[in-house]
Amino acid sequence: IRSMWSFWLKNLRQFSFSWYTPEACLQFKEHFHAQVRTACQQSAGTVGLKISKVVVVGDLYVGKTSLINRFCKDNFNRDYKATIGVDFEIERFEIVGIPYNLQIWDTAGQEKFKCIASAYYRGAEVIITVFDLADIQTLDHTKQWLEDALRENEPDSSFIFLVGTKKDLSDAVCERTEIDAIRFANEMQAEYWSVSAKTGENVNEFFSRVAALAFEQSMIKELEKTMGHMVQIGTGNLISMLNFASCVYFPHLCSQRLGRVF
Amino acid sequence: MVALQRMGPNLQLIEGDAQQLAGMIAFTCSLAENVSSKVRQLDLAKNRLYQAIQRADDILDLKFCMDGVQTALRGEDYEQAAAHIHRYLSLDKSVIELSRQGKEGGIIDANLKLLQESEQRLKAIVTEKFDTAMKQGDLPQVERFFKIFPLLGLHEEGLSKFSEYLCKQVAKKAEENLQLVMGTDMSDRRAAVIFADTLTLLFEGIARVVETHQPIVETYYGPGRLYTLIKHLQGECDQQVEKVVEKFVKERDYHRQFQQVQNSMMRSSAEKIEPRELDPILTEVTLMNARSELYLRFIKRRITADFEVGDSMAPEEVKQEHQKQLDKLLNNCLLSCTMQELIGYYITMEQYFMRETVNKAVAMDSYEKGQLTSSMVDDVFYIVKKCIGRALSSSSIDCLCAMINHSTTELESDFREVLYNKLKQGFPATTFQDFQRGVTSAVNIMHSSLQQGKFDTKGIESTDEAKQSFLVTLNNVEVCSENIMTLKKTLESDCAKLLSQGFGGEQAQAKIESCLSDMAAVSNKFRDLLQEGVSDLNNTAIKPQVKPWINLFLSISHSIEEEEFSEYEANDPWVQQFIVHLEQQMTEFKAGLSPVIYDNLTGLMTSLIATELEKVLLKSSFNRLGGLQFDKELRSLIAYLTTVTTWTIRDKFARLSQIATILNLERVTEILDYWGPNSGPLTWRLTPAEVRRVLGLRKDFRDEDIKRLRL
Repeated sequence: IRSMWSFWLKNLRQFSFSWYTPEACLQFKEHFHAQVRTACQQSAGTVGLKISKVVVVGDLYVGKTSLINRFCKDNFNRDYKATIGVDFEIERFEIVGIPYNLQIWDTAGQEKFKCIASAYYRGAEVIITVFDLADIQTLDHTKQWLEDALRENEPDSSFIFLVGTKKDLSDAVCERTEIDAIRFANEMQAEYWSVSAKTGENVNEFFSRVAALAFEQSMIKELEKTMGHMVQIGTGNLISMLNFASCVYFPHLCSQRLGRVF
Repeated sequence: MVALQRMGPNLQLIEGDAQQLAGMIAFTCSLAENVSSKVRQLDLAKNRLYQAIQRADDILDLKFCMDGVQTALRGEDYEQAAAHIHRYLSLDKSVIELSRQGKEGGIIDANLKLLQESEQRLKAIVTEKFDTAMKQGDLPQVERFFKIFPLLGLHEEGLSKFSEYLCKQVAKKAEENLQLVMGTDMSDRRAAVIFADTLTLLFEGIARVVETHQPIVETYYGPGRLYTLIKHLQGECDQQVEKVVEKFVKERDYHRQFQQVQNSMMRSSAEKIEPRELDPILTEVTLMNARSELYLRFIKRRITADFEVGDSMAPEEVKQEHQKQLDKLLNNCLLSCTMQELIGYYITMEQYFMRETVNKAVAMDSYEKGQLTSSMVDDVFYIVKKCIGRALSSSSIDCLCAMINHSTTELESDFREVLYNKLKQGFPATTFQDFQRGVTSAVNIMHSSLQQGKFDTKGIESTDEAKQSFLVTLNNVEVCSENIMTLKKTLESDCAKLLSQGFGGEQAQAKIESCLSDMAAVSNKFRDLLQEGVSDLNNTAIKPQVKPWINLFLSISHSIEEEEFSEYEANDPWVQQFIVHLEQQMTEFKAGLSPVIYDNLTGLMTSLIATELEKVLLKSSFNRLGGLQFDKELRSLIAYLTTVTTWTIRDKFARLSQIATILNLERVTEILDYWGPNSGPLTWRLTPAEVRRVLGLRKDFRDEDIKRLRL
């Protein structure tokens, strides 16, 4: 795993864009989009807090809560305690001088708590579907979980991750499951990761990746909005509407025009 | 040398003295050593003596206990016997060992054996007597023996036995209550919430038991023991709750109703359950949960306080362990799980209730003349408030947040969609086009209705209706955006109240904030929709009207002589008429739109006029008097627009005013009096090229002069 362009965060978490496996990774760029970087540098310290909502779903006993606890509290508890309804953690970052929070909603996997958990799917910037590497059935169920979560969200508004847990348990089984999982991830338009909450393997790397992508997305959205406002304040025809999406994907074409607006 | 010889005798003297001194010091030293070693020996002897006395006392005590226990047991004075046993148990074990090694070892051994037998006997007696008292429900006796257990070192057993007694009491009462419920008349005032009431009675009963018996536990068992007692009681509570909930589910047909709701939500064709029918059961479930939360909070506070006293000297790990035990008891007890399950079903049903009722409100939407908004806005917000309010009344933060989320979705997707679709139908064409279309459609209608032998004016009326509908929808959208913010504020203070009462876990505050911020975002979406709607209105209703009126400017010559100028002064050729048109046009909107939207609209209209007028100007030609005429016209227009808007319009007309200034110049070079370093407070909005272009509109200015200008 490469780590090319990274920031040290306030809480000394290394923040990076590294992906897990190229077979199931949706974007390969290694640093923030240029516009986002510029905007960050210009507005560091002046903008308000950015928040992204992360929803974690998956079968019961696959280790959703353990995964989150490893990342947020750096601990691991062997005793299984079923999540009732929803749990909630906030992880605070500072990325390029901009305060940034990941709001992680940990949902219950038990069928009988699904009604309450599903009320929390809306507005998720990131959906993490979790399965147990040692239990192929839980992988099968990820599709249903994702479908349920996507139903409450606008199309194409969320990053999707497929995460296999309990990587420490059995290597041979894991490897076989991983091949299936990568196929699943491609079908789901998800990025695949495998982690162990027990040993902590890949947990921080994974959440760094989540934070990086979600942060960039939220900055892009913010920029889009500001530009929308600029256009409105201007007097009619003087500033023509820019297609922001094209700027995001073809920055070299737009940088001059953007410069004028900013 | 001589001096040295002279000092000889002196030195000998000194040597003698020194030897004497050394001898004295050595003597003193050994004397002191002697004395202090005696003191040490004395001290040791004293300590030993004390220990001996202590041992002797202990042995005497032991003897006393042995005798006392026998007597007390014979006299059935169990308290006294237990006190002796307690004394025996707290004696140093080595003392007993020691006393056995003495000369009278045999006797003591026998006595000890007797004592141990008495201990066992007392334990058996106490247990037996306790059981008998429990069977007979004899509270004084139960309490009497309950107090003896800790003296015998049987804390856990005592607590568990006592709890057993208390649980029996709780169970008995609960069964009675449940019997009463089954016999309740459906017409009873509390019939609709009878299960919530039953739970309340159960919880109150347990709370009373805790209240009554906490002092005795604290006094005789010490602090930190309440947890054990309540843990036992919670087991009974869970069993009783299970029974009540089972009856509730059966009697109220809870699961079937949930199933039906789920079917209705999945398939639109399925026979829909009437949302109003759900009303009572939803209220009851939230009430049941509220009671449970209240009860759990009570338990939590009592145990926490008791642990705090008991653990005041304990290490951190013990405190944490106790906290963990408490959390586990509160979160994993059957009561919590059962309620969570009920609430889960509740949320789906409440969501259905909200959605269906909102749909109804939309379907029954009506508008009264003279009102700005239509009935559905008030209705929809009444419903949303009611549903969130009910979720709030459950005292469960998770339940509340879930309903806030559903409400946000409902407003954002479903209801906003309704308003959006209404706006999408657009504001019908303007009066001029309307007139044309009105005539043709009237002709068509007349044609067709004549054929059918009747006359129908529906076509014309519906245009008016469509107009009204568009304006009312705009007002609706604005009110929605505001209502959402009001709702958010109300919820913030409601939640603060709930949290300050100690409900909700550590992350409750953050959960609520997250959900409420989503709500604020939806309010902004309504605001965006409003903005879209208003600019639509401006484009479809105002622009097509205003443009021809402005274009009329082209037909008025601005290359005029003194005579025409006076003629214009007497009979205004354009601007007065334009103002009258505007006035007429805007009356309709002023009456039909809220002040804020109307203001927004006039703002857009003003910008429109400024842009369009500039376009027309650049197509006209002027002379000096024509420029003066335009200056007058512009002033009248600005004066009028200032009266109808609250926005400052000077800024929007800055370019036009500057154009008027240029058109009014005497000579081309006069511009330099206003340009560059001479501009004073004036900020030019025109580029040099634009200034040249405007100068070129003056037919009496020569192009060479304009070209020669250095700007």
